[in-house]
Amino acid sequence: MKKRILALVLAAVMTVCLFPASALADDGLSVALVVADTFGDRSFYDSSREGVQRLLDDGVITTMNTIECGGDNHTAQMRNAADAADVVVCVGWEFYDIETVAPEYPDVKWIWIDNATSEPIENVLNITYAQNEGSFLAGYIAAAMSESGVVGAVGGEDADTINDFIVGYEQGAQYWAEAHETTIDVVHNYANTYTDPAVGKECALALNDQGADVIFQIASATGDGVFEAAAEKGFYAIGVDSDQKYINEDVIICSMKKEVGSSIYDAVSALASGDDSRWGTTWVADMSTGYIGIGYGEEGSVQQIPDELKESVADITEAIISGNIVVDTTR
Amino acid sequence: MFETILKSVFSAGTFNQMLRSATPVALAALGGAMTEHAGIMNIGMDGMILMGAFFGVLGSYLFGSAAAGIAMVLLMGVIVGLFFALFVVKFRSDEFIIGTALNTFALGLTSFLSRSIFGTAGTKGNPALPTVHIPGLDAIPFLGTVLNDNSLFIYLTWLLVLAAWLFVYKTPYGFWLRASGEKPETLRTAGISPEKMKWLASILCGLLCGLAGAHLSLGQLQGTFAEDMANSRGYIAFACVIFSKANPAVAYAAALMFGFFDAIGLRLQDYISSDLTNTIPYIITIVMMVYVVVRSQRRKRHSSKRLPEMQT
Repeated sequence: MKKRILALVLAAVMTVCLFPASALADDGLSVALVVADTFGDRSFYDSSREGVQRLLDDGVITTMNTIECGGDNHTAQMRNAADAADVVVCVGWEFYDIETVAPEYPDVKWIWIDNATSEPIENVLNITYAQNEGSFLAGYIAAAMSESGVVGAVGGEDADTINDFIVGYEQGAQYWAEAHETTIDVVHNYANTYTDPAVGKECALALNDQGADVIFQIASATGDGVFEAAAEKGFYAIGVDSDQKYINEDVIICSMKKEVGSSIYDAVSALASGDDSRWGTTWVADMSTGYIGIGYGEEGSVQQIPDELKESVADITEAIISGNIVVDTTR
Repeated sequence: MFETILKSVFSAGTFNQMLRSATPVALAALGGAMTEHAGIMNIGMDGMILMGAFFGVLGSYLFGSAAAGIAMVLLMGVIVGLFFALFVVKFRSDEFIIGTALNTFALGLTSFLSRSIFGTAGTKGNPALPTVHIPGLDAIPFLGTVLNDNSLFIYLTWLLVLAAWLFVYKTPYGFWLRASGEKPETLRTAGISPEKMKWLASILCGLLCGLAGAHLSLGQLQGTFAEDMANSRGYIAFACVIFSKANPAVAYAAALMFGFFDAIGLRLQDYISSDLTNTIPYIITIVMMVYVVVRSQRRKRHSSKRLPEMQT
């Protein structure tokens, strides 16, 4: 008898647990953040989390759920997130199935970071980033700081978004070379993993073998290994997505910033104040809106880049915004 | 063109990378050889490596020295080995399930602990293992640059390969270990418990895989831990174990081969798509397994030619 009562109680508890948090807390928005891999990359995913955390801290939203897909199960996790939240933010170009899942949940507002649906979907806001523009600046800086005339880039994998960085980076480096009437070689390779710093280190060392003395990492946590290789061999590295200077200020000369967190913050804030006009469109967060740029670290950190170079970078930023320089893209 | 390819592919850097990439795989394969000889199919090496990588960094972070990190790795290696043996040997669970469970558990535990202790940002720059400089070795032109100034564990691995080989083939314990896998009942008749040997094999495997992880986070990297950093090295090690029939020396050679193809794959990316170079380890695994199957079938054919009474 006792066992039966216990079983009943447990069943009741489980039933209650089935109700998502949003059903209980009625007031205010709840946001579920779904990332394609895992947090801890100190760049892309962590930036998105920081943005949603800020929404929560500022009282714009009332609940925040985070889901990490760890590289697979993207579709199922999207459904789990939609069951529990009003706004689902999918971070990563991998969430292709949003095209089938989002229409299943018409009341949920979706945000897809880093990629866009092939056709506009009413309740999906696509946010893509002009990473090619920021990478152009990174390439320009790399070429200017290089002594060997060879600069490198370590990509996470051979995919459109990653190649968009590389294309801009190469163009920026060549732009510098043309302006200074010299030549520059741009070499790159792909680590084919985002979680393995040891492989990232090997990639950077291989590029260094080819003469590269400034290396741009575009590989999430794998990129930590690029910084280590730079510290070990004494070359420079460029960070990605967040301002990564603090990780090792002696070798990371600057970072190509892609303000994923701020763009999520702004989009959801607009929604909270009743403006959902962005949904159903693709919003390109680019240099002119300030979501893409170069970070030189916090005040007081060691600076390797001379002020004149920073000034010309600022000039080029203006030129890109005004359209005088058109940066190639893979999109 | 062809010459530049050869030059970049067969540079000192390639062979340096071969040694570095092979070492964690080789250490794990030594551990896998122990369990393989004891008749346990150990698919859980990946998780064991990840645990080693994490606890090495944790020890180094907490006590401020790489030696403390290694001590912690050894301690955890024993615990993980005991944990594995408890389910596989004592409770006779399916070793495949337990191995898979161990991998999932290790990923969850290390990620959870890493975030609780270090925050989502993870940790790096903790005291790491030293590199070893052998005086006089630089005098040898090419070989000197490849073999000198490597991380401590690269040299330690050579000693461990030798030690493991001697242990398995030249000591009574090694003999009992192999018997516990091949003919456990015979071993029991001889008065030695095959279960005990399986426990020992599991513990040794936990220790060696732990060292593999420690090399990854404290040797190859400077005290850095990233979630899921084992990156399937345990499975590559498993392939080495099967290929080598659990012979430590052959397993090391197989690991070196994987390391070599990793290194040239990276350097060939300039000429062929990285998607293709990325498949190299898997293609090698398939080729190796084909060899294993062919070898065992040939043996079957040979044995069937013998007279029945000669067969054991």
